[in-house]
Amino acid sequence: MDWSGVLDVVQRYILNVANLQGMLRLATPVILAGLCALITDRAGILNIAGEGMILFGAWFAVAGSYFFSSSFAGLFAGILTGLVIGGLFALFSLKFRANIIVMGIAINTFANAATIFLTRAVFHVAGSFSDPKLQGFGPINIPGLQSIPILGPLLSGYTFVVYLTWALVILTAVFLYRTPWGLHLRAVGENPQAAETLGINVGRIRFLAVMASGVFAALAGVYLSLAHLNGFVDLMSAGRGFIGMAVNTFGGGAPLGVFLSSLLFGFTDTIGFRLQAERIIPVYFIQMLPYLVTLAALTFFTVRRQRALKAKIATSHAGD
Amino acid sequence: MLPSYILHAQEINYMALAVEMIGIRKEFPGVVANDNVNLSVEQGEIHALVGENGAGKTTLMNILYGLYRAEAGTIKIRGKEVHIHRNSDAITLGIGMVHQSFKLVPSFTVAENITLGAEPRKFIFTDRNAVRKNVQEISERFGLQVDPDTRIRDLPVGVQQRVEILKALYRNADILILDEPTAVLTPQETRDLFGVVRSLVAKGKTVIFITHKFREVMEISNRVTVMRDGKVVATKETRDTNPAELARMMVGREVLLRVDKEKARPQEAVLQIQNLKVLDNRNLQAVRDVSLEVHKGEILGIAGVEGNGQRELVEAIVGLRPAIKGAIQVKGKEITGLSVRDRRETGISCVPEDRYVRGVALGASIEDNLIVGNYFKEPMSKGQVLNLSKIADFARDMVKKFDVRTPGTTIPAFTLSGGNLQKVVLAREISAEPELLIVAQPTRGLDVGSIEFVHRRIVEARDKGAAVLLVSAELEEVMSLSDRISVIYEGRIVGTIDADLATEEGLGLWMAGVTDHHKPDEIPAAGDQLDIDQKEANLV
Repeated sequence: MDWSGVLDVVQRYILNVANLQGMLRLATPVILAGLCALITDRAGILNIAGEGMILFGAWFAVAGSYFFSSSFAGLFAGILTGLVIGGLFALFSLKFRANIIVMGIAINTFANAATIFLTRAVFHVAGSFSDPKLQGFGPINIPGLQSIPILGPLLSGYTFVVYLTWALVILTAVFLYRTPWGLHLRAVGENPQAAETLGINVGRIRFLAVMASGVFAALAGVYLSLAHLNGFVDLMSAGRGFIGMAVNTFGGGAPLGVFLSSLLFGFTDTIGFRLQAERIIPVYFIQMLPYLVTLAALTFFTVRRQRALKAKIATSHAGD
Repeated sequence: MLPSYILHAQEINYMALAVEMIGIRKEFPGVVANDNVNLSVEQGEIHALVGENGAGKTTLMNILYGLYRAEAGTIKIRGKEVHIHRNSDAITLGIGMVHQSFKLVPSFTVAENITLGAEPRKFIFTDRNAVRKNVQEISERFGLQVDPDTRIRDLPVGVQQRVEILKALYRNADILILDEPTAVLTPQETRDLFGVVRSLVAKGKTVIFITHKFREVMEISNRVTVMRDGKVVATKETRDTNPAELARMMVGREVLLRVDKEKARPQEAVLQIQNLKVLDNRNLQAVRDVSLEVHKGEILGIAGVEGNGQRELVEAIVGLRPAIKGAIQVKGKEITGLSVRDRRETGISCVPEDRYVRGVALGASIEDNLIVGNYFKEPMSKGQVLNLSKIADFARDMVKKFDVRTPGTTIPAFTLSGGNLQKVVLAREISAEPELLIVAQPTRGLDVGSIEFVHRRIVEARDKGAAVLLVSAELEEVMSLSDRISVIYEGRIVGTIDADLATEEGLGLWMAGVTDHHKPDEIPAAGDQLDIDQKEANLV
């Protein structure tokens, strides 16, 4: 049998440098959404508002970039939005004790409608907004690195937000495991009473964690609107806030875990785009793919982890 | 003019008060937890604070530690009036508290837990070498051995408590509050703890020791303050008082501290369990291989530190949890395949350990709670219809017989106090005239008066011919109620002995999993202590 045809298909559709680049790019907003879930999860808060925070971040990044004609103005507008939404979310759910799930749903629903409304009211268009005045993030080529085969194209030529995300993964890990504040945050998440009796201000740490999660989510929005596309599309977060929560669970609440499990999502997303171009399968099925794969992987690994645990217990009792 | 040495003595006396709390008042909705409470603790003493549950001891200490704020009253520390608004204020004043439920982060190491919130830093990072070094240093200085790198979740309770004490010492506490520190410990661990407390006092620390066990008060304290209903009854020199007097002050009337019972006349076996294995909620084997028999007319006590499979054992017998292996027979009939109701119909009654969750339906009336085991039978119902007047009569009768203090039988159960709730549960379970009565932690959280009542009823049930299986973490309770005692450790019965022959030391060794000493009355000499510690270490 001639395998070259199969190899050709594999290389064409699945394993090639372009796909790996696509994976790293499309994983970026998921990584950020994952960090948004992670930072609140480790502080003991169930934050389901990531989805809405991403949308707000995306919209205000577009507005910032459009009105100040600068991609970085967009970035700062996005970050500011994240801080404000995060702050409001924390204020209502932590300070005023509104039910945090209901508050999360409220923010998500509000974000859907508010961004649609704002697009119409401010830009006088419906559905999507794009404009030549809008400054997006361009690719950054790292001199020296880019000429190395394979590694060059894999690591060079992404937008600023991608590199910022990689840095944030490392910084979050260092923060969590190497600084006193990270230690306090984890203590607050695992046993708030222990933290409290040692004079750690649990409320303040949680408040700041929610604000930080707002910034992470908003950055995911900035990536979508100023680096992935160049403009705002209604409901463009497309469930990434929730996938971020899945990715956080999957990654075991660790920044590196979030990064790696996001790659899986990015990879299937990329393959989906390739398949769309081929017009073999209906486009809606393809769009389902990344979510299905993430769910399937999550289920598979959770089941396997539990089996491994049971097997471990069984062997530890073997001497009984 | 006073001679100088008297002046001097007065000064010392004044300085010698470590803690003075004057006129403390604290209200919670509907209750006055502390009512004009005065407490003074001398420098360098071990001061016991005793009282029943709800007497206000823990509230008072939480005020001192800054977790609650008093509505009225003043606090003086080392003679100086202070305002404690939050617990960091208390920490700054050198007050440390070891809570009843430990405040530790399970996934953190010992060193991380001890230094949490006050970590040595290097630039913006945690100085992890300094963390370890500081912890080692403080553990050596006070002779409290811990391994700084072990994670808390891998440590036995006794060591976790040591970590809690070190946490306070690391923050330079010289006034230590220990809230019921012995509740979760084996007798040996308790002895170790007392050794630690004495050595801390020898190093100049002051210890406030909250407890409701008189024996501990007599053994360790210099002075004792008794609280009842949010008020201080008296403060006494320990050597001038005795357990009977303390009990009287605590309850406000004479209390029988010992259980009066005749010798058991055991007959045929009612409950027979062979090689039982049961999983816990995490799918780990909680009961690993239990075989036991309980006879008609005897009380078999299961002693053991909590979490060694007692709960799962009881749940497997009553049918709330499947047995993965083994046989359970009641009067020769295999019951492992039966439903909970069928098991109850074979004559099993159970007073569950958590009366608020499994013992009663809190929202339902006392009547409903009393008939929930037999409402479907005559005379409580006929066909599909409840006989309300019979039920009311039955409930009134039970409330009277079991001395439930309640204004009526149709009010919801949650309005009752813990002791009265337990009486409702007992009434229901004992009135079913069971062949096998299981009682799990029957007096947990009850006041001395109710304990006495519950104990009497359990012995009565035995004398009427029930086989009684008693499960309790209180060794004293097991020893005074049981006719035979089995000790459970990590899901296995490590030994069974006649209650008359049992000693606390022997049972304690079994409770710690030391099985080499087959005879529990073989008390190890002082020199053997190290040997035991070594064994315990190996077991961990």
